[in-house]
Amino acid sequence: MASPGGQGGGALSTRGGCGVRRMKWALELSLGNTRSRSDRQGGQGDVVYPIGYSEKPVPDTSIQETDKNLVEKRCWDVALGPLKQIPMNLFIMYMSGNTISIFPIMMVCMMAWRPIQALMSMSATFKLLESSSQQWLQGLVYLVGNLLGSALAIYKCQSMGLLPTHSSDWLAFIEPPQRMEIMGGGMVL
Amino acid sequence: MTDLFVDRLVICRRQQYVGKVRFAHFDMHVQSSKKVLVATEKNVFASLNTRTGEVYWRHVDKTGPEGNIDALLMHGQDAVLVVGNGRLLRSWDINIGGLNWEIVLDSGSFQSACFVGQQDSVKYVAVLKKSAVSLHYLSNGHQKWVENLPESETVQYQAVYSGGNGEVYTLGVVPHSHITIVAYSVEDGEIIKQISVDAPWLSNIQASCAVVGQGMLICADPATVSLYMLDLNVQSQMTQIPLQSLGLEVSPGFQPTVVSTQPNPARPPHSEFFVQLGPDHYQLLQLNNGQIVALRDFKPAMLVSFATTGEKTVAAVMAPKNKTGLYKSGRRLLDTTLIFNMDPNGGKPEKLYVQAFLKKDDSVGYRVMVQTEDHTLTFIQQPGRVMWTREEALSDVVTMEMVDLPLTGTQAELEGEFGKKADGLLSMVLKRLSSQLILLQAWIAHLWKLFYDARKPRSQVKNDVTIENLSRDEFNLQKMMVMVTASGKLFGIDSKTGTILWRHYLDNIPSNAAFKLMVQRTTAHFPHPPQCTLLIKDKDTGLATLHVFNPIFGRKSHITPPALPQPILQSLLLPLMDQDYAKVLLLVDDQYKVSAFPSTKNVLQQLQEMASSIFFYLVDSSQGRLSGYRLRTDLSTEMIWEVIIPTEVQRIVSVKGKRPNEHVHSQGRVMGDRSVLYKYLNPNLLAVVTESTDLHQERSFVGILLIDGVTGRIIHEAVQRKARGPVHLVHSENWVVYEYWSTKSRRNEFSVLELYEGMELYNSTVFSSLDRPHPPQVLQQSYIFPSSISTLEATLTEKGITSRHLLVGLPSGAILSLPKMFLDPRRPEIVSEQSREENLIPYSPEMPIRTEWFINYNQTVSRVRGIYTAPSGLESTCLVVAYGLDIYQTRVYPSKQFDVLKDDYDYMLISSVLFALFFATMISKRLAEVKLLNRAWR
Repeated sequence: MASPGGQGGGALSTRGGCGVRRMKWALELSLGNTRSRSDRQGGQGDVVYPIGYSEKPVPDTSIQETDKNLVEKRCWDVALGPLKQIPMNLFIMYMSGNTISIFPIMMVCMMAWRPIQALMSMSATFKLLESSSQQWLQGLVYLVGNLLGSALAIYKCQSMGLLPTHSSDWLAFIEPPQRMEIMGGGMVL
Repeated sequence: MTDLFVDRLVICRRQQYVGKVRFAHFDMHVQSSKKVLVATEKNVFASLNTRTGEVYWRHVDKTGPEGNIDALLMHGQDAVLVVGNGRLLRSWDINIGGLNWEIVLDSGSFQSACFVGQQDSVKYVAVLKKSAVSLHYLSNGHQKWVENLPESETVQYQAVYSGGNGEVYTLGVVPHSHITIVAYSVEDGEIIKQISVDAPWLSNIQASCAVVGQGMLICADPATVSLYMLDLNVQSQMTQIPLQSLGLEVSPGFQPTVVSTQPNPARPPHSEFFVQLGPDHYQLLQLNNGQIVALRDFKPAMLVSFATTGEKTVAAVMAPKNKTGLYKSGRRLLDTTLIFNMDPNGGKPEKLYVQAFLKKDDSVGYRVMVQTEDHTLTFIQQPGRVMWTREEALSDVVTMEMVDLPLTGTQAELEGEFGKKADGLLSMVLKRLSSQLILLQAWIAHLWKLFYDARKPRSQVKNDVTIENLSRDEFNLQKMMVMVTASGKLFGIDSKTGTILWRHYLDNIPSNAAFKLMVQRTTAHFPHPPQCTLLIKDKDTGLATLHVFNPIFGRKSHITPPALPQPILQSLLLPLMDQDYAKVLLLVDDQYKVSAFPSTKNVLQQLQEMASSIFFYLVDSSQGRLSGYRLRTDLSTEMIWEVIIPTEVQRIVSVKGKRPNEHVHSQGRVMGDRSVLYKYLNPNLLAVVTESTDLHQERSFVGILLIDGVTGRIIHEAVQRKARGPVHLVHSENWVVYEYWSTKSRRNEFSVLELYEGMELYNSTVFSSLDRPHPPQVLQQSYIFPSSISTLEATLTEKGITSRHLLVGLPSGAILSLPKMFLDPRRPEIVSEQSREENLIPYSPEMPIRTEWFINYNQTVSRVRGIYTAPSGLESTCLVVAYGLDIYQTRVYPSKQFDVLKDDYDYMLISSVLFALFFATMISKRLAEVKLLNRAWR
């Protein structure tokens, strides 16, 4: 993309390029902030543009009309993204094993965090998919994909034993039972 | 934290005791010697430092009659002991405490022993037995000769005497008939002469006779109130000298005794002697050319004694100065007095030992050791200065408790503010201000002390503990140990330093009393003082008394305990409290009636409300009967269950419940598959140990019975066949550990029983023995233990989170801290994934003794009889006191000190790193800002 000040810079560069060599310093009040850019583009500035060349890009208006299919495809890519990650995640899960150590924990955290993050920014994704005709279906697929991802993470937590699903996890919270009877005694003294 | 480090150096404390002194001799052969040799009723022979009272060395013999010290003779560097009713003759070197020699004597009951000397040198020891007399060389113990005593069936030979003239006299008596005197030649044991003299009044020579002067036997006869004299050298009749002719009078009904002295065995005894005429009346007499002359009368006189140094002999008389317990010890020959104060409630003096020594100006100086009824030894120097006291009663601790120390005065002040009733806003504000002011003042004083002490070297900082400055420390590690001894003396000992802070002698304690000590009120209820109650029961009459005292100061409480006219069977401390926060003590008498102490209206009302849930059990081992009772609202009882164990087959040895102050943090155990096996935590469970009456090694057995104390239901029964006691048992949480002797394999074995409720809790909120439909699952495992044990106890912590250890007192004097993990019936024989998950150690039949498990290192505790454990304020720490002949106090950390920072925790490094990081962040933040600004300017 061309810079907005490129036009003037091109015109200026001849002066500026020589000017730097010639003078110790120069003060240009009108175009002061473009000086550095003119330095950088000094090399290009010497090129004389051919006739009919416009440095301003001409907007391509044909894309909106012609390739709606491409948009659909893009949107489906977005929607299917989470689902596509699942096999990869499964492989990582399998490889990392069930031991509690830093790397498996990091993996699990990543796996759990990404779907949650995605679900939280659901509206942004919807905005992305706005242009698609199958917006709702894609949204649903996206949601399901993320849910599956987080389910996978929970399953991984479960298989690593990080979920308090066993009775032993609640053992510490059991209060000692209250005593109903008072008893004492012993051998006859 | 340096405090803790210093603590660690002093927390292991051992105090050595010897027991009640039976014989004591001062080491005389070196003028400047500092030793006193004592032989005690605990079968201990020891040497004490007379300057400090510490034990130089100590030899602990077997307990019981086998190690009983019958006689102690001292000559020069040698101390000769007759041990085990004349079984052994031993000679010790008193300087280093080494054994010179030991010989086994011929059988026969021991009567008497003496040194035999000739020409001013002592060469032999004569030992008189019931039917023989033998002479042994002092140098090596070899027997020179042994002679049978003539007519030993009829004549009771009771004394042996030698005056250094080459003859050994044995004195025998036929009660109420005649005296027989046999003289043997020292050289070959030949009978030189045999005299028989009529003495129809005499029954015991040792009690009433003594040899005085040049072989003159003097006996006292209470019937005719006269002295009898008999010259051993010439055959003659006894001469009767009525005491009245000497102007003396005997207290009516008193058996007069004769006290003489023979300082050098190679020479005849001195001619001066004492005659005791009454309980507090002594007379010094002199034998002068066959005539008895009265020298001086001592009345009142409690004890007399002779002492010799060089050529000078002194007589010491101990007399009470007045009734308040001031005693003086004066002497006739020097006529100097030494006045000293005795503990007014320490009991009467029993024995007097005098150490005489020559001063530089050749006059005689002396020191005195007094033994009193409460087994205290007091060593006194001129002029009446008490150099040391030894509380030998502590060698026989019966029971003990540890009591928290009170808060400091300032803390108490603050507590007191909330304890009092409110009276107006202004006064409350003023009170608050004043107590805050006091706190501030105390804090400043504390700071000043810290500053002041910090300048002094550490060694000079004295931490004298007195009753006044006692206060609870931060973690409640320092407590008051209240010890009850068999002699009836109570002690309050600071657990940190081992200083005796108070002592209280209860006189009139019967010899076979049973004691039970209970803490009725702890220090937590300021301003009410803490209160302990000691139940003393005379086993003969069954009658009991209560002694109520303050465990911190030892003072008797002003509360009058109830009179107990009925024999008391048991007592029971309820968790109920009266309005003064004293726990209620129930006393069960032989009519199975219950009386409460304290028995205020409030208490009786509470008891009425609670009666239906108060149960007690009694175990009568003589009848083999276990019975359970329920309290009725009118304080009578009703028997609800009874279990009879036939006494012909087995007898009940011990019954153990759980400790009331025990907390169990975890209600179950986590299995390998992360399910829970819930513990069966029945607070009413009793473990009953029985032993078979048949002791044949094929048929003997040991039984363990687990009974619910409320319902009488037998939860479990285990029988170890071919096993024998003594059984040591610990019952805690959901497990019972016991140790017995396996006669089949001839080894000691540990067995552990664990009870589990299963995978589900029946009722997780309340526990009632009356509603328990499911029997628990019982697991058991046994292990071989390589040593016999003397006592067994489990550690105890505040919340029960810390893992448990068993404290095993070994006969070697070591105390082993054995992790309970090793005694776990779930230890698998085949290791599986799940058992590894559970951290179970694979089963191995041998239980190791690892030397690093000894909590007392090289400080052996002789004859451990009991171990007491108490929780401290730190969850990781358990206080341990082992008592027996010695007392040893330490702390154990079963799960290491997980709640305390390590000693080597580097505060400096960590705080400096923290500060450095903090400043680095600040600086880098600033730098980053500057850089950003610069970049923005570009």
